[in-house]
Amino acid sequence: MMRLRKQLSAALLAALLSAIAFLWATPFLWTLVASFRPESAGSADMASLLPDLHPTLENFRNALDSGTFGLYYVNTIIVVAGVLAVQCVTVSLAGYAFARLRFPGRDFLFYAFLLQLMLVPPALIVPNLRTVVDLGLYDTLPGVMAPYFASAFGTFLMRQTFLALPRDFEEAAAIDGAPWWAIIWYVLLPMAKPGLVAFAIVSITAHWNEFLWPLMVINSPSNQTLTIGLASFAMGAEGGKEWGVLAAGTLLVMAPLAVAFVAFQRRFVDSFVFSGVKG
Amino acid sequence: MSVAGATGIFDSVQRSSAMAASARRRRMRLLPYVLLAPSLLFLGLFTYLPVARVVVESLYDKPHGTGAATSFVGLGNYARVLSDPAFHKAALNNLVYAVGVLVPTLVLALAFALAVQRSTRFSAVLRTVFFFPSLVPLVAAASLFFFIFLPGVGLLDYYLAKLGLHGPNWLGDSDVALWSIIGLTVWKNAGYYMLFYIAGLQNVPRDTVEAAMIDGANAWQRLRFVILPALAPTTAFVTVIALIQLLTSVDHVIVLTRGGPSNATNLLLYYIFQSAHENFEYGKAAAATLISVAVLLAISFGSLRIMERGARGNG
Amino acid sequence: MTIVTRLGMGALALTFATAALPAWAQTKIEFFFPVPVEGKLAREMTRLTKLYNESQKGVEVTAVYTGGYDDTKLKAQAAAKAGKPPSVVLMSANFLVDLKLSGDILPLEPMLKADETTRDDYLKDFWPALHANAVVDGELYGVPFHNSTPLLYYNVEHFKEAGIDPAKPPRTWVELVDAAKKLTKGDRYGFLMPAGYDYLGWLMEALSMSNGGRYFNEEYGGEVYYDQPSMLGAARFVEDLIFKHKVMPQGVTEAGGVSTQFFAGKASMVLLSTGSLSFIRENMKQAYDVAFVPKNVRNAVPIGGASLVMFAGQSEDSKKAGWKFIKWLTTPETLGGWSRFTGYFAPRKSSYDKPEMKEFIAKNPDAKVALDQLPYAKPWFATYQTVAVRKALEDEIQAMMNGKKKADQAVKDAQKKADELMRPYVEQTSLKLP
Repeated sequence: MMRLRKQLSAALLAALLSAIAFLWATPFLWTLVASFRPESAGSADMASLLPDLHPTLENFRNALDSGTFGLYYVNTIIVVAGVLAVQCVTVSLAGYAFARLRFPGRDFLFYAFLLQLMLVPPALIVPNLRTVVDLGLYDTLPGVMAPYFASAFGTFLMRQTFLALPRDFEEAAAIDGAPWWAIIWYVLLPMAKPGLVAFAIVSITAHWNEFLWPLMVINSPSNQTLTIGLASFAMGAEGGKEWGVLAAGTLLVMAPLAVAFVAFQRRFVDSFVFSGVKG
Repeated sequence: MSVAGATGIFDSVQRSSAMAASARRRRMRLLPYVLLAPSLLFLGLFTYLPVARVVVESLYDKPHGTGAATSFVGLGNYARVLSDPAFHKAALNNLVYAVGVLVPTLVLALAFALAVQRSTRFSAVLRTVFFFPSLVPLVAAASLFFFIFLPGVGLLDYYLAKLGLHGPNWLGDSDVALWSIIGLTVWKNAGYYMLFYIAGLQNVPRDTVEAAMIDGANAWQRLRFVILPALAPTTAFVTVIALIQLLTSVDHVIVLTRGGPSNATNLLLYYIFQSAHENFEYGKAAAATLISVAVLLAISFGSLRIMERGARGNG
Repeated sequence: MTIVTRLGMGALALTFATAALPAWAQTKIEFFFPVPVEGKLAREMTRLTKLYNESQKGVEVTAVYTGGYDDTKLKAQAAAKAGKPPSVVLMSANFLVDLKLSGDILPLEPMLKADETTRDDYLKDFWPALHANAVVDGELYGVPFHNSTPLLYYNVEHFKEAGIDPAKPPRTWVELVDAAKKLTKGDRYGFLMPAGYDYLGWLMEALSMSNGGRYFNEEYGGEVYYDQPSMLGAARFVEDLIFKHKVMPQGVTEAGGVSTQFFAGKASMVLLSTGSLSFIRENMKQAYDVAFVPKNVRNAVPIGGASLVMFAGQSEDSKKAGWKFIKWLTTPETLGGWSRFTGYFAPRKSSYDKPEMKEFIAKNPDAKVALDQLPYAKPWFATYQTVAVRKALEDEIQAMMNGKKKADQAVKDAQKKADELMRPYVEQTSLKLP
């Protein structure tokens, strides 16, 4: 009797979960279906989740036409990679300083870093834009990247990571006469790889998806990122919308991260978990 | 060589190695600052300089396009902001938004985490489905939801109609619009925080749970008395991150409603954005920024206190 | 060949080479444009720009699609503030006063003088209704590119079904309510109008004008007339449509939603721009027709659309290049082609004398209705801080459409907010006394 009850409740739970999962996935299912549906801006059935019998690539062609998606991809990759590259340097150095060194003003500087966690660039968008203009970086990709080069989140993450590493290796290396940069590069960083990977994934995802800041900094279409390109799609005003094209465009923007996620699912999840545990 | 000479050489060798040692010590003293310099440079430029600028700018007023000069107004801008009904609405909306997103998100995140704990194929699929929305840019999600919320033929209304129900005007009804935005945000974020809870769950001491089971506690009681307390630090962490995110992302408002209808979805950051870029009221925007930043800091410090207490409690 | 001849040829060659240099030293300019209706128009504009670039070597234009009208203003001004103003912008026709006051745009008088023509001569070919929005303080600031008026689109099949003669669409507000009541049934509404930002302000202007009034002071950017009887009546009319006659749904529907509802047969009559004409023609499966905006006191509608302006802060070369591009874009043939493609009407009278246009109008009588309404067209509202002042009204009307306020209170609050917004300007002008 208990067995049956348990099996029933387990089955019920599974059914409930599946229903919720289906609900959760509905927007994406629609995007998938709609992007292949032939253009019919006004058909009353365009919300249908059942795929059309004559799928077409027309929407993708129109989406690619409307925006230079190839260029957007390149720009986005440049921004994401650029930010990450500099961040790796700054957070490793700063993380090491906080983790292993003792110096006057350490606590004060630590709080200074902490503040940046809250004062994210979008919150200070108006003055930051002014600074970027003053530096001559308006409408450039470096202008988009610059505010993120220092990362309090990354610094804390690396600090936690380093703190958790046993000191024996460093001490051995120090006795052997290795200078600090050699210790960091050859000893600590290899052991801190999981932390770095976790940070990299968080950073890449965050900057791939960023919108407001690049929107304000960038003007020329040649410098636009994927999110800006997609938004100009979605924000047309006076009249109607081509929903199929919008769906296709959205798919194009989501695709790389989606593919990467499916391929590296384990890594992705583990790294978020890792940053959560240590955070 | 005389002994004196030898001693002299020995002395000078000692002195030079002492000098080298002190030089090295000096370098070591400077090292932390050298290491922190690059980060501090950018922090200064893009966090602290802006704050300083904002403080200064908030004290002046330059009326746009009238040819009048910039004038010092002291706290005048703050008074204008605090008496602006649009600001009140934005602040109120942000509060409702924050709570309205945070609570369901936390509950769902925990629920999902509990559901996908086991490493079955099914759980892996569930995990993917729940997590996926957070990978997508908020702008993309907003564009999709524009269609979903479309009156009459959009996804929601289409399927509601099949069930014989009639939905409200999701984005055009000022009572409902904010909740639609909240719904979108919950959908997007729950999966992300689920991962943190998955990690947190792994840290729940197995023996305590088993002890509770032996004592005859059912699932609910185990949840309430063992698991939830053990998850306190995770919850605190997620709350802080979520609150920061909630106060600083308005992409969906920009794409879907532009603050409307009649300020029903105006949020603090959007109010600032509008003041600065549509109305060119920079002094007012600066004052509003400072007020919002103060709120942000208060919340963060408050939650950090709690987090620290929790972390200390858990060792 | 003798040495002299060789030298001579060399000199000649050198002269040609240096003469050709300016052609190589291309002026690059940026052209910001909004596309209010749909993506197809953005693609067409990009194609036109490419055509221009290929047709000559002196100027290379980069066309930047900048979203809707409000967004384009935002982006252009942000770019100017950062020191990189665009050369030419297709700006909503009613932003010219605002932009001139803030010093963002250049007067086009010097360009006219360089072309040895006068403002009156230049504008002669443009429809009279468009002049007021293109001229600020007696100087030409913009060249109209595409224009629109609101139109009443109606579903012919619904009309027949409800027993209304499709050849006799409602001409007055009374007839409109009458027809809408007959057409509303089930989940179908008799009437629907867009109420999102920018559109709502335009349509309220149309309604208050049809009610005998003026939305704003055409000659002075510091006065609007929200709480006067004409606007009050228009607001009450909209309120009644929703709550008393129940022919329009409660809440705010964006333009995209309105056209979608029209296509899906969920709204029988909609008030939309002539700019949507092509879009609707292509996507409406059922028979439909268009009519004037119904009147209460008189037939009057605001124009809509956009004009080409030039931003301040550019070099002389850039100005020359921009003006050349503007002239190319505004030939009667180009304007006519764009009009046929989009549904906007061409701002030049001469465009309609061309055979392609005559043929098009003959085949598409709905385009003719838009043209017929032109004699009743008046300037689009343009004031100091146009967007904010407009939103002051829109926010209140939106609240009214959601049942939060009564019409009388809404227009009163709107007037108060608008007055406060315009106060800095007013205090520097009419309230600045010795």
